[in-house]
Amino acid sequence: MEKPKDSTYSYHELNAMLNLYGPDGKIQFDKDRQAARQYFLEHVNKNTVFFHNLKERLDYLVEGEYYEKELLDKYSFEFITKIHDYAYSFKFRFETFLGAFKFYTSYALKTFDGNRYLERFEDRIVMTALLLADGDEQRAMTLVAEIISGRFQPATPTFLNSGKAQRGELVSCFLLRTEDNMESIARSINSSLQLSKRGGGVALLLTNIRESGAPIKKIEGQSSGVIPVMKMLEDAFSYANQLGARQGAVAVYLKANHPDILKFLDTKRENADEKVRIKSLSLGVVIPDITLDLARKNEDMYLFSPYDVEKVYGVPMSDICITEKYQEMVDDARIRKAKISARKLFETIAELQFESGYPYIVYEDTVNRDNPIAGRINMSNLCSEILQVNTPTTYNEDLSYNQVGKDISCNLGSLNIAKTMDSPNFPLTVEAAIRALTAVSDLSNIGSVTSIKQGNDQSHAIGLGQMNLHGYLARERIHYGSEEGVDFTNIYFYTILFHALRASNLIAKERGKTFVGFENSKYATGEFFNKYVQNEWKPKTAKVVELFKDSNIAIPTQKDWEQLRDEIKKYGIYNQNLQAVPPTGSISYINNSTSSIHPVASKIEIRKEGKLGRVYYPAPYLTNDNLEYYADAYEVGPEKIIATYSAATQHVDQGLSLTLFFKDTATTRDINKAQITAWKAGIKTIYYIRIRQMALEGTEVSDCVSCML
Amino acid sequence: MSDMLISSNERENKMKLASKISRPVNWNKIEDPIDLEVWNRLTSNFWLPEKVPLANDIPSWATLRPDEQILTMRVFTGLTLLDTIQGTVGAITLIPDALTMHEEAVYTNISFMESVHAKSYSSIFSTLCATTDIDDAFRWSEENVNLQRKAEIVLNYYHGDNPLKRKVASTLLESFLFYSGFYLPMYWSSRAKLTNTADLIRLIIRDEAVHGYYVGYKFQKGMELESPAYRAEIKAYAYDLLLELYENEIKYTADLYDPHGLTEDVKHFLHYNANKALMNLGFEALFPHETTQVNPAIMSALSPNADENHDFFSGSGSSYVIGKHEATKDEDWEF
Repeated sequence: MEKPKDSTYSYHELNAMLNLYGPDGKIQFDKDRQAARQYFLEHVNKNTVFFHNLKERLDYLVEGEYYEKELLDKYSFEFITKIHDYAYSFKFRFETFLGAFKFYTSYALKTFDGNRYLERFEDRIVMTALLLADGDEQRAMTLVAEIISGRFQPATPTFLNSGKAQRGELVSCFLLRTEDNMESIARSINSSLQLSKRGGGVALLLTNIRESGAPIKKIEGQSSGVIPVMKMLEDAFSYANQLGARQGAVAVYLKANHPDILKFLDTKRENADEKVRIKSLSLGVVIPDITLDLARKNEDMYLFSPYDVEKVYGVPMSDICITEKYQEMVDDARIRKAKISARKLFETIAELQFESGYPYIVYEDTVNRDNPIAGRINMSNLCSEILQVNTPTTYNEDLSYNQVGKDISCNLGSLNIAKTMDSPNFPLTVEAAIRALTAVSDLSNIGSVTSIKQGNDQSHAIGLGQMNLHGYLARERIHYGSEEGVDFTNIYFYTILFHALRASNLIAKERGKTFVGFENSKYATGEFFNKYVQNEWKPKTAKVVELFKDSNIAIPTQKDWEQLRDEIKKYGIYNQNLQAVPPTGSISYINNSTSSIHPVASKIEIRKEGKLGRVYYPAPYLTNDNLEYYADAYEVGPEKIIATYSAATQHVDQGLSLTLFFKDTATTRDINKAQITAWKAGIKTIYYIRIRQMALEGTEVSDCVSCML
Repeated sequence: MSDMLISSNERENKMKLASKISRPVNWNKIEDPIDLEVWNRLTSNFWLPEKVPLANDIPSWATLRPDEQILTMRVFTGLTLLDTIQGTVGAITLIPDALTMHEEAVYTNISFMESVHAKSYSSIFSTLCATTDIDDAFRWSEENVNLQRKAEIVLNYYHGDNPLKRKVASTLLESFLFYSGFYLPMYWSSRAKLTNTADLIRLIIRDEAVHGYYVGYKFQKGMELESPAYRAEIKAYAYDLLLELYENEIKYTADLYDPHGLTEDVKHFLHYNANKALMNLGFEALFPHETTQVNPAIMSALSPNADENHDFFSGSGSSYVIGKHEATKDEDWEF
């Protein structure tokens, strides 16, 4: 054990002092900076393997099978020296203790015994750039500049694994369909094990699995429904967890009209029986508009047996628009049904969200209305920002594939909004990010799950995300969720979309290739562009006009859009999907960002992760003088968050992880009201619900920053 | 204390026993709003150990050295003992002293949760440790003189016949005696070890903080009924008991933490909590400020608030509460 010293504080202690007010009643930001410094002196520098020069280092790492030789062989040693020097010329320093700690604990290459570091931040960036530039020197240099300047940050699996000889996959987000047969269920579990072993997060669609009590081989009352499948998944993942470097995680999605819906939700009850209690799966409910409509009228909602629905319609229930077919199904005697009160369902969902934060919500019809790609979206992923079409896989009797369907993987990376607004070349920053993410898709090859491989090969889907919105707004002295804040969000996402499409179009032109199915998309028909060509999009507030002007960023005009539309109609785009805004945990700390486009959870955030313990993180750009711009998510409240997300959502083809925050005075009705508001505002998905309970007066820890409102 | 002085609390108690009229508790007529506030807080804080994914700590447990594992198990058996006392004896002995019927109800809740706490340690044991090791640790707790002494002192006062003294003993237990044990999981958590276990302990701390506050508050209410002379006597008694417990606690702390060089740091933590316990009783702090400077990592780790940020790779944490149900109305659904 480390012994606490009397005279000097350790970095852990210095960091913790950030959460305790100083003697002058002010937040002790300097203590956190001291913590970062101390961390390097006490820990990093002492535990880093020393090399005399780059050659010695690279030889050692290649011979020791730490670095991939084939990757370094794509470049001359002269260039590799140049790009290292370039990376170090930026004189990068971590802004916070957590940033440094997180990088060295979770990302930096270590000796196989795990005791000594073989990389610094600059080295990791160089390896990532070399991998993603795939031999193109200019692109590698550009990427180094983008990443080290903090404008673009690849997602964890890419940044963690690039260039390492012993590594996991570059992507870590997978979505799998499960169909109503044993072959498919077993394959799902097998695939989950494989993906989890590689450190992935997996979401599974359970909508098509027949309900408990449904017939098997025409014998009534045989099926045990979705709960035992969830149990098997939970056990499979807890096994795979023990092997992986990063813990696996899994979400399951079920349509609201599935007869097992209430049982599914009850698995998260505080007092649920051990047999049905699901501790480690995340739950998501797919809600069609008809559910809201019936709740509005305070009517009962029918639940339909997926077994019968598939028999009647010849397609799985997940691929049917229930809102459209609802009355037809109700009237069809061949379909077994049960009914529940639609309002009661919403209330139950809210109760569970209080207790557990789950389920996530997918507004199915909103998602499909806004989907430019042919096909149906019936689920989301572990963070509820991936929304892509899929198709089922069928099997032969010997368990081999009959027809390989399309499942989803997604590689993500995020732009730091503040740094991107500071970019000397905004279009290039977006283009570099799109190219980097496309490279990840090109390099990915998940052979163990054929349907995932098929999906990736055909779609080259990527998800460009955004983070540090609140940090940027506060830096510019704009309140989160204010008129100016929402106005900025709208125009920023509008401009990003333009350049993302432009970059994907550029790649399609260069390669003479589009994603499979481009010709059936709303991009090909031009329909997608109507709202940009027919309406003028420009800032409503003087402040936002000024921000874009000061940053020298041109806001695309209707004419620009016409031109882009014509180019895209002619040459297509390379990526089936382009944007998805993830919650950004780890990478936003390294990148010194606020998470995603949320308000901060707290001025000084307490972060707890399996590998890290409790660490304290100050909001970016926060000082003792601008505290007023850092109202936390609980103070900001759901309406402003929804308004901000709504402004962004209209320019994002996939989804955005949207968490709603409530004080503990909220009731289930407040949550339901926010869900209705979100749906009305065109929000596609809702991620977690968080409730904050403050300590009872008289029981709080004295002088604690995060305890204060 | 002098036998000449009979407190009015005792008198009231005796009268209550004599009258023997059973009355139903009426929550629509609240005599002391704190009763309702605390009841609501306790019920919305309800939890069971099964909600915390302790199994995620197994790899972390394996990284502890054998002596660190032994220390951890001993600390938890010590805490189990205290919670057992508090659940089966402590909170229950407070019931007859209650000034309001709602107060009685709150004590039954406290008593139940203490039993949940005691069971939680068993969940930790069964998840992380082998049976023989658990048995060894339990034997240690039965044989450790200072731990047994601590239990004996508190039990004596619970079995005594003075309601105010019982409350003093209870508050000191809730707000002071637990913390030599709570130190360790907070220490581990600040070093990224056993973080799910720490979540569970934080839930316990969240409860104990409310319990200590409430019993201390009721003690102060009881004191208001007494004469200044009797109040002074009780106060002197509280400090005496604290010092007696403190002396013993130092030895117990040394037994546990000396081999790990943490004793000095734990002591600061004890001083801090002793002052906090006195504050709950409405008395001035005993330990001077400079001896209560707790290691900031431990201090910050303590905060029982629901302000941690989680993702799905972590456990559910120490933050969720049971919600208040309220049906939606037609106007909510206008669209």
